[in-house]
Amino acid sequence: MKKFRTRRIAAVAALGFATSFAVAAVPSQAADVTLKLVMAAYTDDMVDYYDGLSQDFENANPGIKVEVDVVAWPEIGQKVKTLIASGQSPDIVNNDEFAGEAAAGLLYRADQIVDAATLKDIIPAFMDNSKYKGTAYAVPDLASARAFFWNKEIIAAAGIKKAPKTWPEFLAAAKAIKKSSPGVYPYCLPLGPEEAQMPFTTWGGGNGARLYDEKTKKYTINTKLFKESTDFMKSLVDQKLTQPNPGKTQRTDGCWALFAKGKVGFVDGGVFLPDWLSKNGGENIDWAAGAFPHAPGKTDVTVGVQDYFKGYKAGGKQKEIQKFLTFLFQPDNYAGFLKAAGGFIPATKSAGKIAEADPIIGPYIKLLPKAIFYPGTVGSWQACKAAIVTYMGNAMSNTSKALSSIQAKCDAANKKA
Amino acid sequence: MAGAPVKKEPFYKALPWLSGTIVLIVGFVLWPTLELFLMSIRSIDISGVIEGWAGLENYRALIANIDLPAVLRRTVVWLVVVVGMTLAISLPLAQLMNAKFRGQKFLRYSIIIPWAASLVITATSFKWILDPYYGMMNLILKDLGIIKEDVDLLGNPSTSFIVLLVVAIFVSLPFTSYVLLAGLQSIPGEVLEAAKVDGAGAWKGYWTIIFPLLRPAFLVAAVINAVYVFNSFPIIWVMTQGGPGYETDTTTTFSYKVAFRDQDIGQSAALAVGNFIVIFIFIMLFLRLSKWREADQS
Repeated sequence: MKKFRTRRIAAVAALGFATSFAVAAVPSQAADVTLKLVMAAYTDDMVDYYDGLSQDFENANPGIKVEVDVVAWPEIGQKVKTLIASGQSPDIVNNDEFAGEAAAGLLYRADQIVDAATLKDIIPAFMDNSKYKGTAYAVPDLASARAFFWNKEIIAAAGIKKAPKTWPEFLAAAKAIKKSSPGVYPYCLPLGPEEAQMPFTTWGGGNGARLYDEKTKKYTINTKLFKESTDFMKSLVDQKLTQPNPGKTQRTDGCWALFAKGKVGFVDGGVFLPDWLSKNGGENIDWAAGAFPHAPGKTDVTVGVQDYFKGYKAGGKQKEIQKFLTFLFQPDNYAGFLKAAGGFIPATKSAGKIAEADPIIGPYIKLLPKAIFYPGTVGSWQACKAAIVTYMGNAMSNTSKALSSIQAKCDAANKKA
Repeated sequence: MAGAPVKKEPFYKALPWLSGTIVLIVGFVLWPTLELFLMSIRSIDISGVIEGWAGLENYRALIANIDLPAVLRRTVVWLVVVVGMTLAISLPLAQLMNAKFRGQKFLRYSIIIPWAASLVITATSFKWILDPYYGMMNLILKDLGIIKEDVDLLGNPSTSFIVLLVVAIFVSLPFTSYVLLAGLQSIPGEVLEAAKVDGAGAWKGYWTIIFPLLRPAFLVAAVINAVYVFNSFPIIWVMTQGGPGYETDTTTTFSYKVAFRDQDIGQSAALAVGNFIVIFIFIMLFLRLSKWREADQS
């Protein structure tokens, strides 16, 4: 049911209607200031969470009214853009980009949107990822790290004793699975538009490749290292060790759905995959998770992703924004936020301490120092990411052409930003 | 024309009656068109903020776009193949619908159904039928022993565009065949009888009598179809999103992707202006044709 709904919404959005996933307008008596929020729907629980939170906030702060729009991931970027372009800028947004807006001068600084105590509690590595040209313009709300998941039964049936650590080991394991479990795809490679940048970055990262060079301020995508990693992915596809249509397969309703059905050996997962499996018919899958395979002689990496809270200058409501976000970061309220979002890594030290004891999230917090992040602080990253996502769809038929096209588009965006 | 001569009234007296139409045309046609043109010569940053005038910069960026040539070529193929095949299939189909036989009503209903369903629903149905893991097509082909491993026609760049063409032709058939049917029904029976009496066989009668008389309906169907097909967004977007990569994009879906994925609103507007001009030409053509038809009938 859930799958159908997201598909339908994607279709409606495609027709050009601005749709919001759910609207939770909170009634209130004669209020002086109204805060307009557009927040990401990590899960369906977010609507209820914001309903409760804004009620509590309004009770504690008479004179401030809160209107929350909880919007699904595929639409939120476009929705925010449309609002800004049509002069209806929101006051607070929670999504996955900030640098472009910071470059355009739309955002308050991080120290203007939460109080000093909250700012101090944010994990420094995440804070660094929220800086544009040395100044923080966003406050991280949570983070995730990725890991390689496998189906233990399928692995055991193929006689694999140890999780593969390097590319050759992985190749051997995939071939063994193909032989022992016909009808099972040894590895699911999600190069569809949902998140193709992730496998691209992870496989490249395991070969020492990075997307962006901080020193030269240039994208480094059409490189020997990425060519090797992309060719390795292609070799998996060519040997039919993946599902038949990597360029179209989405991460969630493609690979994860197949994994939940026990039709896949290995899959790219993340800290929130166990939660997803339990809610989407994969509760019986006996899984384990570990590091991504890396090229011989290189080290493994995980890709970290963090999202942001941002305050917009257009409405001039800096004080109210600061009050609200500080309120949200109060330990109880923030714990509620994390719970509704479902299985992510907290952005604050205090909540991080509690999460370290969690059997599922804990290991990822230890992985974080190894994490490489997307160049989210670069103004042109969103446009570059779009190029990766689009060209990865056809990269498995010609890797050189895809890499040079991506490089060209990213360079053009970089020059413009 | 009989009756009393009509006294010519000054134009302004008609304004109160025309005002509604004028407001609609200005508000919903002229103004958005003007905005589109303005957008294409403006510099708009990735957050959608207008930074100033760009001159022809957006057009230059569009022409330099490495994916544009393939998309343009594909759009021409899309237009020619879908409109051409639709007309080629609709002609005999309309003839069949016009013939008197037992299942005629049933045939007419079953042809109109794909038209009654929205494009998004039709496209979604096809997408699910062709789904490699859960779709009916693979299941049937596998049971029949035609294929051994699952195939994904939409995920493969060499087949996905062909599938889209087939679906686009399928959804264009009802409208076209009904326009042609209406054209057939307007041909007086005496003409055909006269042809028969003069000794024209079925084939010759068709090409010398029916087809020329059908030509106005044929041309109208062709032009209206061309406009629909050229603008067709839902089929491509629902089934492939123009992917893999840009392999199944036409200019319509391409301009959407340039705006919302590449986040280059100015360049997308420049492409949309190009689309607008093409549509404008089609519409002019259509108006000319209908005028010509009026003259033909009077």
